[in-house]
Amino acid sequence: MSLSAESFEHVADLVLRRSAIRLAPGKEYLVETRLLGMARERGLADVEELVRQVRASGTEADRERIVEELTTNETSWFRDQLPFESLREHVLPRIVAERGPAARVRVWSAACSTGQEPYSIAMTAAEVLPPTASVEILATDLSDQVLAQARSGTYSQLEINRGMPASMMVRHLVRSGAQWQVNPDLRRSVTFRKHNLLDMLPLGPFDIVFLRNVLIYFDVAVKHDILRRVARVMAPGGVLVLGSAETVFGMDGEWSRVQAGRGSLYVVQRPATGAVPSVATGMTHTHRAAVVPALARGGQE
Amino acid sequence: MRALVIDDSRAMRRIVSGILKDLGLEPYEAEHGQAALALLEDGLDPALACVDWNMPVMDGLTFVTSVRARPQWRSMTLMMVTTESEQSQIVRALAAGAHEYLIKPFTPDAMRAKLEILGLVRTETHA
Amino acid sequence: MSPIAVGEREIFEIAREVFDAMIPGGGALEEWHGDLPVQHEPLTAWVAFHGPFSGRAVLSSERGTVDDLASALLGLGPDAVVGDEDRLDAFGEIANMVGGNLKSLLPFPGTLGLPEVAAEPPADGVLLEKLRLSWGGRPIVITLWSTDSAAAALSEGSTLQ
Ligand SMILES: C[S@@+](CC[C@H](N)C(=O)[O-])C[C@H]1O[C@@H](n2cnc3c(N)ncnc32)[C@H](O)[C@@H]1O
Repeated sequence: MSLSAESFEHVADLVLRRSAIRLAPGKEYLVETRLLGMARERGLADVEELVRQVRASGTEADRERIVEELTTNETSWFRDQLPFESLREHVLPRIVAERGPAARVRVWSAACSTGQEPYSIAMTAAEVLPPTASVEILATDLSDQVLAQARSGTYSQLEINRGMPASMMVRHLVRSGAQWQVNPDLRRSVTFRKHNLLDMLPLGPFDIVFLRNVLIYFDVAVKHDILRRVARVMAPGGVLVLGSAETVFGMDGEWSRVQAGRGSLYVVQRPATGAVPSVATGMTHTHRAAVVPALARGGQE
Repeated sequence: MRALVIDDSRAMRRIVSGILKDLGLEPYEAEHGQAALALLEDGLDPALACVDWNMPVMDGLTFVTSVRARPQWRSMTLMMVTTESEQSQIVRALAAGAHEYLIKPFTPDAMRAKLEILGLVRTETHA
Repeated sequence: MSPIAVGEREIFEIAREVFDAMIPGGGALEEWHGDLPVQHEPLTAWVAFHGPFSGRAVLSSERGTVDDLASALLGLGPDAVVGDEDRLDAFGEIANMVGGNLKSLLPFPGTLGLPEVAAEPPADGVLLEKLRLSWGGRPIVITLWSTDSAAAALSEGSTLQ
């Protein structure tokens, strides 16, 4: 039996309340395919029956599982290349120039999925930071399932093939049966934690925040609320990296876009009064429009 | 931009060529290292060569080494595309002069990502 | 029993990746449950391993299934007629991908032979693993063989010391 409108609405409502992900009408097929495995595991005939059962007598864990199954966890190594190029060539060298060889860099990879993003950041940092500097990467996601893989740092050949440069593969991975595993050194630089972006954000201040390919699932109001709260956990001059198709559209005056080489980043706009030292740019924002050498300001949106 | 696909399997040559064509490259094919060298000698001047490892007549590692020994072919980008997947083999190929390494099996996505790393396909930039 | 770190699980994982990435349509590779049907027009593709471990990885199936594997690999339509050369080449390349990845789990340093295809596999060797798989309900069997004689294995071992 196919999914009834009532059951679809129930699932959509649950997912919206718990994750902010909006499942618009027309996404019935998505609910049916994603929850089929869970229905089968329980020996149920179809998803309709699963939803009815969970509504009648489901546990908290059941509801959590449904939300997790409806997240999209698509990711890859060094996704889109450019953000990592910006880190390597502009952001990290700037921080070291500012803070010296013993610099401590704090990074948050929000909605990190199976871990490719924070590990790619760690690999980039290992490439450019002097051995005396250190990077602390906090990586969070809503889903326990993706976090389990992320923590183990274990990937299939196909997952490794997607965007990992051969030089990094040789340096940071070891074979583990038919799979590959991120080496312990690199794993130690990343802390994984379960976190929902709708909840209170982790304590900053962060020099670098990756918040990529997750806001696209949310309504504008939710998106703005999250970006506003993210602004408060940024270190002065800290940089925010969004997905390649994402912008801070509608938040002029709060965030502004800067160009770092070929990549774009966002920085918090400080109030016009009082100069705030900017870590990543090595410059001072005295007004909204900061013009800096390494991070030449890009077009405003 | 020309690309040379070197593999003894015609199925694999067709797959790799198809992906490269979709990415806007112009693929040529050779069934082993020796045949590929002959094409280069004849003046085919590809920006990229996708090189299988295990082939009859001349294997891919020998091909890479031969290309690297010739200064006039220095600008050619070499990517191994092979089932050889020991880490030590990757190290050997890189040391011999290969720039990238794609392990079979792969998806078109993975091929694209490698070409982005190599700067042969444009990465998406903000408008 | 086998002195190697390759078991059913590794073979299955590797074969599954090969099918997931390269052979669209026809569904994921699954375990075969129950008895295998009699194979009509069997076809076998294999690659040999040489080195500290000698042996071979063998794929076998029916000619009709192999034709469908070949057209899926080559991205031809479902009704495409697959020529002899394409059939042999495509099946050999699938064996090569499975075997090549298995080689990385075998004792180092080994080398891989070029793929071969025939109605029957070579008769020699000791069977180490046998996986019966279903590709959209059609059987594909993968076997791993050792072709070391006990003496050869011993002398290999001693030269490694
Ligand atoms: C498409 S992935 C993006 C992964 C990575 N950032 C990238 O760009 O490749 C989206 C991730 O967001 C997570 N997610 C969705 N809603 C979330 C929420 N409300 N709080 C935290 N994570 C969420 C999902 O679990 C999923 O892993």
